[in-house]
Amino acid sequence: MSMPALRRAGPASLGLSRLRANGAGITIAALLSLFILTPLVNVAIWAFTEIWRYPAVIPQKFGFRFWGDVLSRGDVHLAMTTSLSLAAIVTALSALICLPASYAFARMDFPGRNLFFMSFLTVYAFPKFGLYITIATIFLGLGLIGNFWGVVLIQLVSTLMFMVWIPVSAFQNVDRRQEEAARDAGASPLRVFWSITLPQVLPAISAAVLLTFVNTFYETEVAWLIGAPEVRTVPLLMVRFINSELVVQYGAVLSLLLWVPSFVLLMLVRRFLGAQALGRALGA
Amino acid sequence: MSRAEATRQDTKGRRPIGLLLVAVPVFLVLSLIVWPVALSVFDTLTVETPSGVTLSLDAYRFFFSDSFSLRNLWMTVQVAAICTALLLAISLPIALYLRFSTSRLTGYIQALALFPLFVPSILLAYALIRTLGPNGTVDILLSAVGLPKLASPYLTIWGPIIGLVWDNLPLTLLIVLAGLGNVSRASIDAARDVGANRVQLLRYIILPRIRSTLLVAASFVILGLFSAFTLPYLLGPAVPEMMGPFMRRTIIDVDDPLQARTQAVVTFLICAAFAYFYVRSIARTRREQSS
Repeated sequence: MSMPALRRAGPASLGLSRLRANGAGITIAALLSLFILTPLVNVAIWAFTEIWRYPAVIPQKFGFRFWGDVLSRGDVHLAMTTSLSLAAIVTALSALICLPASYAFARMDFPGRNLFFMSFLTVYAFPKFGLYITIATIFLGLGLIGNFWGVVLIQLVSTLMFMVWIPVSAFQNVDRRQEEAARDAGASPLRVFWSITLPQVLPAISAAVLLTFVNTFYETEVAWLIGAPEVRTVPLLMVRFINSELVVQYGAVLSLLLWVPSFVLLMLVRRFLGAQALGRALGA
Repeated sequence: MSRAEATRQDTKGRRPIGLLLVAVPVFLVLSLIVWPVALSVFDTLTVETPSGVTLSLDAYRFFFSDSFSLRNLWMTVQVAAICTALLLAISLPIALYLRFSTSRLTGYIQALALFPLFVPSILLAYALIRTLGPNGTVDILLSAVGLPKLASPYLTIWGPIIGLVWDNLPLTLLIVLAGLGNVSRASIDAARDVGANRVQLLRYIILPRIRSTLLVAASFVILGLFSAFTLPYLLGPAVPEMMGPFMRRTIIDVDDPLQARTQAVVTFLICAAFAYFYVRSIARTRREQSS
């Protein structure tokens, strides 16, 4: 209904138009729910199923039997340890080298500043997997294939976009007048940084750290290309479950185990960043 | 002069420190992005002869005359085209609804559409196999209502397409949504007042304003598709395969780094124009953010 017609018709037809507008909304919501949620709900059901024979719609027997099995598997423990230490090391190294750099980009003036800053755009300029292939050919010669530190090195590159870009804009948004006021009141530079600057950039830095950690933990492609078969991370264990494990529930339980913490961490990131900023951080 | 001003001038003087602080990440970019790409381009374009290094297109001649390589490339192009079309067709109506509706459903729809951001793609691959694979949920539901089984998309070209659309929906939607921010509600209302219907609104008011946004969204999707590995490998057919799994097999199983690099450079070249649009748009948002 066009606007003039709507005005003429008055409040009575407003209800009708709202219903129609919501018809579109309900259709979108229903289709999207079906598309997005079906696979996830399905896995969640499988994780709590003991017997589910085709073609029953509802599993014959629910239970937690496979949780114990998965939690006591040696390969699961090993993969968890590998993935957690990989993610922790990459995140720590990335923070160590990127946070000072992002401070420098945001606040200091030095020759080549813009050029160096824009050089990080090359991270986005190539299809990632092709880039990893070109790195892998170099690593082949250096004996870094199948090496834990080879994986660390490449994953470090893919964390740059979180650990440099997000904090840079946070440092730039800090209110300089507050810092200057504190300096004039006699605070030392370190004190100013600790009490004025840091609290303002902390949400963004936390978001960057969490994003880096979660992304490294679930990163599959570098681990597969550079790390396999010696470096066994959780995603690679999942690949093995998909390719060669007959017990469906192992994969389902592992999925749920993995997915819940990532969901919680990323919800935290969203609280710090908001949807659009999160999207930008991920390349949108 | 206050102490703050003094420090600021001081900071300007400490030039080398800034350079020192950015040195390591910049070195990483140079040694793990610029150098490998440059080296691959150089090595695939040259051969070593006893008289020295000479220019040679042999590696590319092989790629473009090998029917197997070409089939894989063609499949990647097809999947990329279909996924781009599907993603734009799905995200545009959702984005329009989110931008212009005042219904309470928008919150739910946005949360749902962004949800795939929180699901790692390896877990998605597993979930889709259980849902679309043999005796999966779709089969169960079809047989429950007495319908015959559909051909499963698992291990066909449609497996990766469904997975990649699922996976890329949130970021595509966010790009389109950001673009729709440039379309004011007032311009929509004005067009409605002179009697424009929905199709005309879309065609004459909305689409012209978001044309460049759609191009950026398509570029983002295409770049992602040419580097997709996990979903095509786990959900797609073995022959032909998409460039991601193909490159991995060439370097690891076939043990032919030269062809793997050639394949990588070919994907770079095909994506070059899209990479240009995409990077330009990122550079623009960064600049807007920082100013």
